[in-house]
Amino acid sequence: MAPAMSRLLIPLLALAACSSLPGSFADEELYRAAAESNVNQRYTIESIAVAGIQVDQAKLPNRLRQRMNALVGKRCDMAALEDLAGDLRRELHLQQVSHHLLRGSEPGRVRVDFDVVRKPVDVSVPKLLYSSRQGFTGEVTASTTLGQNGFTLGAISNGDDLTERFTGILARYENTHFGSDRVHFGIGFEDYHEQWNDATKAAAGTNFDLYRSRRNIAPEITFVVARPLTVSVGASFEQMESESPAAGARSANAVTAEIRYGHKIEGENEQQAVEGKYDIRAGVAGLGSDYSYARHTFSVRYEVRAGRQSAADEFAAGAITGNAPMFERFVLGTSSTLRGWDRYMIDPVGGDRMVHNSLTYGYQFGERTAEIFYDSGALWNLGQPAQLRHSVGVGYRQGVFVLTMAFPIVQGRVEPVFMAGMNY
Amino acid sequence: MSGRASRTVLLAALVAAVSATCVFAVSVAQPQLKVFLENDYLRISVAPHLNFLSGRALERLKDGASVAFVGQLTIAPAPNSVVTDARSVARFAFSYDIWEQKFAAVKIGERPDLRRSISHLSAEATENWCIENLAIERSLLPPDRAFYVQLDLRADDSRDGRGVVGDSGLNITQLIDIFRTPAKRDQKFWHLYNGPLRLSDLRKPG
Repeated sequence: MAPAMSRLLIPLLALAACSSLPGSFADEELYRAAAESNVNQRYTIESIAVAGIQVDQAKLPNRLRQRMNALVGKRCDMAALEDLAGDLRRELHLQQVSHHLLRGSEPGRVRVDFDVVRKPVDVSVPKLLYSSRQGFTGEVTASTTLGQNGFTLGAISNGDDLTERFTGILARYENTHFGSDRVHFGIGFEDYHEQWNDATKAAAGTNFDLYRSRRNIAPEITFVVARPLTVSVGASFEQMESESPAAGARSANAVTAEIRYGHKIEGENEQQAVEGKYDIRAGVAGLGSDYSYARHTFSVRYEVRAGRQSAADEFAAGAITGNAPMFERFVLGTSSTLRGWDRYMIDPVGGDRMVHNSLTYGYQFGERTAEIFYDSGALWNLGQPAQLRHSVGVGYRQGVFVLTMAFPIVQGRVEPVFMAGMNY
Repeated sequence: MSGRASRTVLLAALVAAVSATCVFAVSVAQPQLKVFLENDYLRISVAPHLNFLSGRALERLKDGASVAFVGQLTIAPAPNSVVTDARSVARFAFSYDIWEQKFAAVKIGERPDLRRSISHLSAEATENWCIENLAIERSLLPPDRAFYVQLDLRADDSRDGRGVVGDSGLNITQLIDIFRTPAKRDQKFWHLYNGPLRLSDLRKPG
């Protein structure tokens, strides 16, 4: 396991490290300074086009169109144009976007044209994590876009989010213009095989149904009510094959809903961001579910940045009523909650009540950020006492790459846990 | 008679081919690194002229974009040695005025007061200005032994680096594209050296 781990981890860390070397050729500061010193910045933007089509006629998300229109008549800000090119590439899933300046209708004026190159298929690793306690978690996806339609196919092995490790495939279809720019439609398919920890098997006994595989189909419609507020409603049709052949297949069919809110405040000296989320999943007999339950989760995150310093607090709470399947039960001791704790020591079958808070302070050195964090949380079941647990740790972050050393606060001993990866 | 004519034609063709090869060899002579002392600094020049604002970098400049270059001057005991006596790294940002059709360059310093800039130049003058701005303090040169002076100049194609790692994680398609493209692009890296040299051998320019 160790050599295999090194083979995977070393290129990842090398990739993260190479952009921090002095004189690095992927130096964001140099790139920014180059854009800001461009001699064409003194000219005024006369018009902006995308692939030769004027912005007002081009099929673009409203937000990008507004940003482009706001630049017309202003000084030619090369850094802003580079940022726009990056956002165009990301939001429209393009392979490459570059901007060209052309002479305008009179001296001192320029026309901007964004050239775009579409990519047939985009393969990426959205999440990768190695934890010295839980092993590897990773996901590889291939996606393609046809007009407003996005298709994704992926493979995943996740030993981080639930009590079980689930490994399998996922497929997703998404339409970002379902009659309107404010309505998105998506449908996801997942097919996983499960691996259970011995502690979970022992604790489950006859009280919990352990399954060896599960398959889910989940359609969802999202309404963009206002720019910071979205509401999603959908359903989840999950079929599980029990570990014991006698039990056979069971269904956990649920209606789902989610409300998300996100708001940023750009001050003169600091930036603040607030994000909130509430979601409910309710297994109902009317949809043919063998489980009848309601799972509520609520989370709120506040972050403030001032100069090189940042502080963030994230609070989450959840409750389950009724009889929920194992994958719905709450877990603490993951890569983002009570970091460093062994989840099977907290509760090998998860809990139906959860509260958690994570406080992080970061100090930025160029593109790198050093962090310290303090996690606290409790996981319990209705009718049982809740025990509050704590952990502290340090982290190093560069872009999406993160290295973390977490120390669970356990009386009498120190057992640090090391985690490395990206986007966890 | 016809045999003699053929031999004459063949000889003429041979002479022409040799001449053409000589002319070609002169015209594509590799740039040589010249090293000299000026006041308290070791400075360099390149002859014949090093035309690095070319190919893709020039295309991007003429599209109005900024192009960054990183130049590194190294003093080392041997060519390509990993052990160095002294090193100086300079970063340059170039742009091209699409109305005036002239180049501009900025040497980006560690502090704003160290920034130097120049504008309204031809491509050749801009390239020379960049080379002239690479220097190493004389006091850092080994006084009693031979050394090599090495110039590394590389285009920093920032756009290539962007998009490999982003909010959506590691983009393998973009990564493959980066490893795939250098072969089809114009040269973006220059490596020249001169040596062995001794401090006592270095002369002032002229």
